[in-house]
Amino acid sequence: MKFEDTSQNLRVRLRAVQALGLILLLLLGIRLYKVQVVDGTRYAGIAQNQRRRRLPIAAPRGIIFDRNGHPLVDSRPIYNVILSREDLRGRELATLVPPLAEGLQVDQDLLKERFEQVTSQPAFESILVKQDANPGDIAWVEARKLELPELRVEQQPQRRYPPNGLLSHVLGYVGEISPEQLKQQSYQSKGLKPGDIIGQSGLEHTYDDYLRGKDGYREVVVDSRGRIQDEIETVEPQPGQDLISTIDLDLQLVAEEQLATSATKRGVIIVMDPNNGEVLALASYPTFDLNLFSQRIATKEGRAEYAALLNNPETPLMNRAVQSRYMPGSTWKIPMAVAGLQQGAITIDRSNIACGGGITIGNKFTRCMGHHGSPDLKAAITHSCDGYFYRLGLKMGIDGIVAMVEEFDLNKRTGIDIPNEVISWTPSREFKRRMQPRDPEWRDIDTVYASFGQVYDVITPISLLRAVAGIGMGGNLYIPHLLKELKPIGQEGSEGYRVSRTFQPLDPSRPNPKVVPIPGDIHREVVEGMWGVVNNGGTGRGVKMVGFEIAGKTGTAQVVGLGKDIGKNKDHSWFISYAPAYKPEISIVALIENSGFGGRHAAPAVRKVYDVYYRKTRNEEPPGAVPLARTPKPETNKKPVEGQVAVN
Amino acid sequence: MVARIQKRSIRDFDWVLALLAIGLVAFGTTQIRHAMPTESYWAKQLIGLGIGVVAMLAISFTDYRKLLNIAPAFYIFGLLLLVLVLIPSIGLKINGQRAWIRLPGGIGQFQPSEFVKVTTAMMLAHYFGRHRATALTLKETAIGVLILALPCALILLEPDVGSVITYLPILGVVLFLSAVRIRLVIISIVLSVILLPFAYWVGVETNLVKGYQQERINVILDPERADRRGFGYNTWQSILTVGEGGLFGSQSANEFSQSSLKFLPEPHTDFIFAVTGGNTGFIGGIIVLLAYGILLSRLIGAARRAPDRPGMLVIMAIVGGLTFQIFINIGMALGILPVIGVPLPLMSAGLASLIATFIAIGFAISVQLRRFVN
Repeated sequence: MKFEDTSQNLRVRLRAVQALGLILLLLLGIRLYKVQVVDGTRYAGIAQNQRRRRLPIAAPRGIIFDRNGHPLVDSRPIYNVILSREDLRGRELATLVPPLAEGLQVDQDLLKERFEQVTSQPAFESILVKQDANPGDIAWVEARKLELPELRVEQQPQRRYPPNGLLSHVLGYVGEISPEQLKQQSYQSKGLKPGDIIGQSGLEHTYDDYLRGKDGYREVVVDSRGRIQDEIETVEPQPGQDLISTIDLDLQLVAEEQLATSATKRGVIIVMDPNNGEVLALASYPTFDLNLFSQRIATKEGRAEYAALLNNPETPLMNRAVQSRYMPGSTWKIPMAVAGLQQGAITIDRSNIACGGGITIGNKFTRCMGHHGSPDLKAAITHSCDGYFYRLGLKMGIDGIVAMVEEFDLNKRTGIDIPNEVISWTPSREFKRRMQPRDPEWRDIDTVYASFGQVYDVITPISLLRAVAGIGMGGNLYIPHLLKELKPIGQEGSEGYRVSRTFQPLDPSRPNPKVVPIPGDIHREVVEGMWGVVNNGGTGRGVKMVGFEIAGKTGTAQVVGLGKDIGKNKDHSWFISYAPAYKPEISIVALIENSGFGGRHAAPAVRKVYDVYYRKTRNEEPPGAVPLARTPKPETNKKPVEGQVAVN
Repeated sequence: MVARIQKRSIRDFDWVLALLAIGLVAFGTTQIRHAMPTESYWAKQLIGLGIGVVAMLAISFTDYRKLLNIAPAFYIFGLLLLVLVLIPSIGLKINGQRAWIRLPGGIGQFQPSEFVKVTTAMMLAHYFGRHRATALTLKETAIGVLILALPCALILLEPDVGSVITYLPILGVVLFLSAVRIRLVIISIVLSVILLPFAYWVGVETNLVKGYQQERINVILDPERADRRGFGYNTWQSILTVGEGGLFGSQSANEFSQSSLKFLPEPHTDFIFAVTGGNTGFIGGIIVLLAYGILLSRLIGAARRAPDRPGMLVIMAIVGGLTFQIFINIGMALGILPVIGVPLPLMSAGLASLIATFIAIGFAISVQLRRFVN
């Protein structure tokens, strides 16, 4: 370098520049090593993850049919407009509210509320803008692919339930798995995840594992905007098993119609085949629309509707057949009669007991509603003589009554295959101690009360039906159930094969049927009494069907003390029955809340169900009965004189 | 005479330097093609390579001294281009920056700020190339700053802060090699270490440093925890692209890559090194770094053997610019520097940058060819 002057150290300075340049390159090399060799695998995983997405394919849920193949519940595909937050890229959600609200006709406030809620959720969660979009909405979205690329239309199967609340308490509803459920071991072990739709009540709940299919998925490659570029694999969803229920739609419809047109529109009708426990109809009123839960619960209106149901004093959500307890009134006399004979408190030859128009225990007089002289057992059942049963109860004693309760499983759940069945309250010394801590001693007067279906007897309609139908069957108490068959899927041995299944007791240790040893003569004696109720001028004579002999028992359960039983505090009206009396095919119980006498309200409702059954099975018009307008005189019935503790 | 020069030229011509540059462009073109297979960027790049090689040869065989003597004319022409680009009917606005001049006939557009780097380097070499016996005076320094400040000011009007940043080391190297007192160098380094954070703070307080610029700097401080969907997006995606390459390059590279799925923005220009790292892995990345290291060393070697001061300065000014630009671009791709839209010399798609770099290399070869001619 000829131009170089030594004072400048030019050579050194050039070296310095070179060294600096190489040091910078070395730094880059070190960083490159860190990113690619040290952390490469981790970054590769993240990179692959962001371009792969699993799009779930919802498995169709099994269809629920009635016993004759009428579909009761199915799933139909609906289209939802959703907003993919992945693709939003910092765009303000709030700015989308007005165009979306107008274009898709959604409530602005509702959208705002939803958008605010999701800000706390992970970003990959999409936001539901409009559920069940119509073709117009879908066209609107398609036309705006460029301006609003974050909008998507997604297909989703939605459960469709029958209209008018038909069968609501039996079918139950599906809903998204709740955070609480997700924490439970029983749900976790099934591999359920947030957002999964599961059965939350009724048959949908009990047989959820079978009805619910296994979701499939599409694994796809997406670009940075979430557009699908390629499909890696598709795992087809496995549909759930179809369920044939024991319900007979015709009987169910007439049962619900009877409740809907009843005096108070509140009550229960259960129809069961006493030969096997198959429930042919189960109606509880008032009812509710199941579609609320499968379709509208996520909307503002839907939530308001749900809140209204929860607060409704008439408790429409409650399944009165299994979740409500009622005093059985005179229907209680049937198991009492059987047990009295079994225990030897009375015998067939010497079954007469005085009516006496009532009974005096200490200084309390409890009266009978009639004067029946000294009836035998059959007459006491037919004419519902309380005086007879007061004395029978005293002969049996509380221990005898407890033995009867045990024998007919009245203090147990029936084991019906819908959830939330409650246990009845039945008389016992322990029950009195709990109920009246100030007077814990069991007294004779308590035995009197316990013997005619009041005070200490508070039972579910389903447990009463099981007991009485079992008595009709000569002591075979079947577990009431609603599952007839879960249809198999595929061929045996093939992949995804799911085996057919029929009803199994949920508690496998329970015998089905439970066999109560009722000797033939005792059985005949009691049945003759019940036959007389309808066919021999008894309290249910108004529903007599010539040629189709109904054995039954009316009941009128007092809600408040005598004399106050008017208006909404009227007595509960019961009728329990089966037919034909000596070869049972069908058993029916009806309870109309606060309507009055059993023979006037519950029995005619039951008769309408028998009419439909008769038409179906006999292919002819039911034999003419006493016109329903001319209902019989109120049955003789118990009414404790002093308006003692108004239980219920 | 002509024949003699020709013969010597061929013998002394820095084939290594030229072939290294051509190789880097060729390799870069394959990566551009990979990043943008459906577009015509890679074809354009090959055209640019052709033009660049011709320009390089033309400059090589021209006496650089003649060129440097009229450096002020080139410098003023460059400034004119920078003014032209600001005129809306001529300048093309892309992403908010009016930094491109539309070429007639639909050929495309070019970025004058890339060319002006060369003319500025020439002007600085011209001014500081005079024989000197004493240390740099304040007046000389001020004039040097002015020479740089004029084009920088015009580029800031585009506004293209990234380009301006790549101008700074050109002056820095020239001053450093023009006998600026070593204690001044040390003082300025110390001062900048202290003042830079302070200046940044002042900038933030006075809103001179804009919000998005702040965010980009925050991303670098902690890219893993930065907002990966917002300001950290580019950096994060670039790190992922590079990281996926691993040691030997990504297996999935040919089907669905970060760039083909558009996760990585600007894969053919700003993030071409990320694409390369993803495709060829650590091995490929290191080879690219080595190639740049050799290229820069060859240039510095040429400067060292330069027959005169202007020749040495023009090469070193270019080296300063290139080194810094390479560091900024790759550092950005590796997530250690904030995202500044600066192309990677020789590899990023873009005609202006490519041709300008070849012109600069042509200067270096021209200087080398004349080391014995005096």
